[in-house]
Formats: sequence, C-alpha cells, structure tokens
Amino acid sequence: MHAFLDQLANGIALGGIYALIALGYTMVYGIVELINFAHGDVYTLGSFFALAILSALGVSGELHGVALVVDITIAVVGAALLCGIVGVLIERLAYRRLRGAPRLAPLITAIGVSFVLENVMMIWKGPAPVSFPEVMPNPAFVLGPLTVSLKQLLVVGLALALMAALHTFVKTTALGRAMRATAQDRDAAQLMGIDINLTIALTFLIGSALAGAAGFVSGVYYGSTWFFNGFGAGLKAFTAAVLGGIGNIAGAMLGGFIIGIVEAFSTWLVGGQWSNVAVFAILIVVLVFKPSGLLGQAVTDKV
Amino acid sequence: MQLHPFVRAAAAACAVLLAAGCAGGSSAGPTGSTIKIGIDLPLSGTDATVGQSTLNGAVLAVEQANAKGLPGGFKIELDQLDDTVQGVHNPQQGVTNARTFISDPNVLVMLGPYNSNVGKAEIPVTNAAGLTQISPATTADSLTLGADAAALRRANPVNSFFRTCTTDSRQGSAGATFAQHLGWKTAYIVDDNETYGLDLSSVFAADFQKAGGKIIAQDHLAANTQDFKSLLLKIAAAKPEMLYYGGVTSTGGGLMRQQMFDTGLGSMPFMGGDGIVDLATVAGKAADGTYFTVAAPNAEKLPSAQTFVKDYVARFHEPVGPYSANAFVAAQVAIAAILSAAAENKGALPTRAAVLAKVAATDMPSAVGRVRFDSAGDIRNPVISLYGFKNGKEAFIKQISLPN
Repeated sequence: MHAFLDQLANGIALGGIYALIALGYTMVYGIVELINFAHGDVYTLGSFFALAILSALGVSGELHGVALVVDITIAVVGAALLCGIVGVLIERLAYRRLRGAPRLAPLITAIGVSFVLENVMMIWKGPAPVSFPEVMPNPAFVLGPLTVSLKQLLVVGLALALMAALHTFVKTTALGRAMRATAQDRDAAQLMGIDINLTIALTFLIGSALAGAAGFVSGVYYGSTWFFNGFGAGLKAFTAAVLGGIGNIAGAMLGGFIIGIVEAFSTWLVGGQWSNVAVFAILIVVLVFKPSGLLGQAVTDKV
Repeated sequence: MQLHPFVRAAAAACAVLLAAGCAGGSSAGPTGSTIKIGIDLPLSGTDATVGQSTLNGAVLAVEQANAKGLPGGFKIELDQLDDTVQGVHNPQQGVTNARTFISDPNVLVMLGPYNSNVGKAEIPVTNAAGLTQISPATTADSLTLGADAAALRRANPVNSFFRTCTTDSRQGSAGATFAQHLGWKTAYIVDDNETYGLDLSSVFAADFQKAGGKIIAQDHLAANTQDFKSLLLKIAAAKPEMLYYGGVTSTGGGLMRQQMFDTGLGSMPFMGGDGIVDLATVAGKAADGTYFTVAAPNAEKLPSAQTFVKDYVARFHEPVGPYSANAFVAAQVAIAAILSAAAENKGALPTRAAVLAKVAATDMPSAVGRVRFDSAGDIRNPVISLYGFKNGKEAFIKQISLPN
C-alpha cells in the first residue's frame, strides 16, 4: 500500500508536468492544426530561463518565508513570460508564412525549430545536465499511509491552478471566445471581425508560457535541467494530448496525469526500461482505436 | 618565367593531388614523410572532460616523439576526430570517423574510442580494413572476449584491436571485492542498457554473489527520461545496503544520484565503474558518498609514471585525467610499432599489416608498467584503482594489481 501510494504521488507529480506541456500542444493544434514539435524545447527553455532569473536574483541556496514566495513568483512569471515571447516569435518567424501550405511543410519546420532551440540551449549552458539551486525546503507530509512532499504539492497545485485559469479564460473572456471561434472556423471568424493573426499569436503566447512554467517546476522538482530534456518530455506530453483528445484542454490535462501515472507504475511493476514502451504503446493504441482521444470529438480529417 | 601566385598555388595543388593519387594506386604502401595516427574520442558533450584529458595523453606522447627527432626524418601527426552527436558519444559517428582514417593512406594506427558501444561499431570496420586500433579506455568484455568479439572480427581473422585499459569483468570483480571489504552484503543493481553498463553490472553481480553477497534485483533505465524517482522509490522499498550502477553519467547516472536525495536514499552507498568518473559535473555535492573503479592505474601513485605526470602537468596545466596515462602509453605503443616496422622497410613508410604485427608483439616498459598484449588484444597484469567522491571532488582510495 505504501509503495502504491508513493508511486501514485510520484506519477501524479510527473503527470502535472506533462499536463502543462500537453496544454500547449493541444491549444496550438486546436487552432492551427499544427503539431508544434518545438514545444518540448520551449519547455526546456523555460527551465533555462528560470535558472538564469534565479541566478540574476542571486539565489543559490534555500529560501524561506517572504523571499521564497517572492523569488519563486518572479522566476515562474519571468520564465513563463519569456517563453511566451519565444513562442510568439516562433509562430511569427517560422509558421505564419506556412499557414496555407500543405500540412507537411509546417510540421517539418517545427522539427527544424526544435533542432535550433536544442542547439541554442546546448551552446548556452553546455551539453551536460545543469544543476538547479535547491530553492525551497522539501518537507514531507504524512497522512496515514500517504506521504507527499512539498515539491509534489507545488507541481500539482500549479498545474491545476494554471489549467483552471486557462479554462476560465477560454470560456469567459472575449479573447477566449475569439480563440474558440478561430479554432472552429478560421474564415468565418475572420468575417466576424476577429483578428486571426492576433488570436493565433495569443494562443502561442499562452501555450508557450505554460510550458515555461512547467520548465521552472521541473527544474525545482528534479534539481537539474538538460538541453535535451524537451525531446523525451515533449513526446510524452504529445502522447498525453493525443490520449486526452487533441484540441481539448481538459483532455490534455487528463492525458498528462494518466501518462505520468503509467510511467511511474510501469517502472515500478514492470521495470524502468519498459516505461517508454508503455507510454508510447498508449499512443499507438489510441491512434489506432480511438484517434479522437478520451474527451475529443470524432473528426475525420485530422492528423 | 614569372607565374602569378595563384597559378603557382594551383600547380602545387595539382602536384599534391597527383602524388596522392599515386600513393593510393601503388601497392608499395603510402609515401611521404608524415605518419598519421588517428584518434577518435568524445571531445564535446557530456564526455568532453574525460575525452579531452585522454586526448592530452596521446598529444603528449606524439609531441615528445617529434621533439626527440624520429629516425628516417619522419614526422608524426595526430589526426583527431570527435564522435559526439548532440552531446552524447555516438556509434555511427565513430564509424564515420574510422572510415575517414581508413581512407587516408598515411594513417597507420587509430587510437580510441573512449566508449564501448562506439568501439563495438568501429571494430568490424577497422578490422576489415586491417587498420590497427588501440583503445585507451573502452572496457567492455565483449570487445575482445567470447562469441561477441569473434563476431566483430568476422571479416578478417587477424585481430587488429588492442587496449591499454583492462576489461569490465576485471572492473566489476574489483568493485565486488571492494564492496565486500566495506561490509555491504546486499545490493540492488541498475544499468543503462548499454554494452558497457550491462557487462559491468553482470560481472559485478556474479562476483558479488560468489563472495557471499545477495543481489536483490536488477533494473534497467529507460532512455530520454528525466524521472528516476519511480525507480528509486522501488529501490527504497527493497532496502538494499548499496546501489550498484552499471552505466555512465550521461545515460542517467548523474541525475539518478541527484534524485536519490529526494527519495530518502541520500545516505545509501552508490557505486559504479569508470563511467561515473565525471559524476560530480552533474550531481555536484550529491556525488559525495559514491565510489567508482577505474580500469587503469592512478598514474600519480605509480613510481613508473612520475615523469609522465610531471610532463603532463607542465604541458597542460591541469591534473592528469583517469585515462591520460593509458592514452599516452597507447600512442607510444603505436609510435614504437610504426618506427620498428619502418626500419624493417628500409626507412620507407610501412604497410598497415606490418604495423599491426609489431603492435601485437609489443613488449615494452611504460609509464603504467610493462605492456604486453594477450592474443585477444587485452593487456596482461592489469591494475584497477578505486576512487570515491569527497566534497564534489574525486579522491583516490587504493589500487589493486590483478593476476593475469
């Protein structure tokens, strides 16, 4: 029971990170039908930005009280904002001109952007994993047989809060309505006076900002970051988005948590080398039997 | 007649091309007074630190030989190539590099690689071409021993691969002996599913059990993962006295060690082979409490290596790396073989086959002791050193000389 709950808590924390990344995949796909393979690298970039912000703030050890809250907030918001800007730039420079092109062209461009980002990060921080400062204490909370750490609560709490905020934004604000309209029918939305370019840029801004926040959280949770992290995490988050139903925000979140739990449990019960197999087997099974995903609507011409 | 400088340069280039064409076409072996020794190592990426200090050993040997002046007016050139792709040593890149050396008729010996999986890909290529390859650091058994090694040499029955380090079975045995000394009776093994990691961990497991220890379980790491906590929680539940890691820092060793502290395993002894010599570059202070074996003597503690150590520090202004002395000796073996084959060839550049025969028959004193190869290409009477980490720095513990 102990082991089960420990693995579950770890799987949910891991899933929280995947879910935050998956949101960006799903939003971008929903609105421009592009699988943005550079998104995983934007996530890694978020951890690099957070690291740079923390060192600019002079943080090298554990923080307490007000300083902890202030510095962490600055790092999260800063990393998210910078990643959002990078996302908008990527869309503007690499994808916008290809909006009317055949589907394959932007897809290949996305892979190219991914290589560019990876190599920029490798030049920036070097090819080896980089240590993250231990910014926060990590006390464990014991509730009967369940033990959760503060860092796990931070990961899951931030993921849920950001998702709730995103959901409210998309459902209640005018800009959110514009996003939904653009996703449904771009031409009709344009005829209704919606600025398509602005709406798509906004989607990239929000999606990339969420990845940036995920990057910060993963750095704090794992104590390190590496320029190549986004490759594996990105593919798993993409799987999560497909599992939940690509284009569906709640689905991405659900898929992220499921993928995280599957990874933790397959490592525990089957063996570490099988965790990737288990995760990507899900991708294949979903694509073959239920391409619309758990919460997605059946659409015939996608992917 | 006055020629325009550009025309002169072009004419010279044509002459060089013609000469090169002749060399390639004739059967008398390469001509010219430059002997090349190729060296393939991971020189960027995660393995860059150890790759560079290994390269330095070979550089020093070549510089010393050239400074001394070689008989026949030869000059030795070290031709270095990097086998890193996207930060990690890459077997395909290693093969590409080996082919580059093979296609250059002036390359008579190839040194390297550093990593066993790269070696596994390169050996069939160099063996088919009859190019002698001497590695200072690849320690996987399967490169020289057993059916796997025989398969690597299928193209050419004459063995052309040698190493100045010893094998993982020796490293794994030394690790098991050391663990017994420290009184650890139960171990959990994790490997990275690569040639090196699997060989190392299986020998450790066998010898650890032979000495009365108990292996609780063995697990393999998944590639491209960031999360080792699930695996570590599973290990924590099994309560072993130590964790043995068969693998290298870049395939998960460093991150796993770091995450041990988050899963309550910070104080558990963590031990591995020479693949984690650079653990502190990733794990930082978390490297403390880890132990590793190196399939080479600690040059600084060997009386025979004192001159080498002094020259190395004077030349590179940094301490000797774990495989620097092995690379120094590998290059010396190559140079001696080439010169002796050249002397028999009346001072002309020898063929690769002649150099290979000389390397196989090597018997010379060196910085790391007497160098002789057995029929498989492994060095006789190997020495293995044990290290630990203290305050994020590696600290020598002791070295043992193994019987042949």
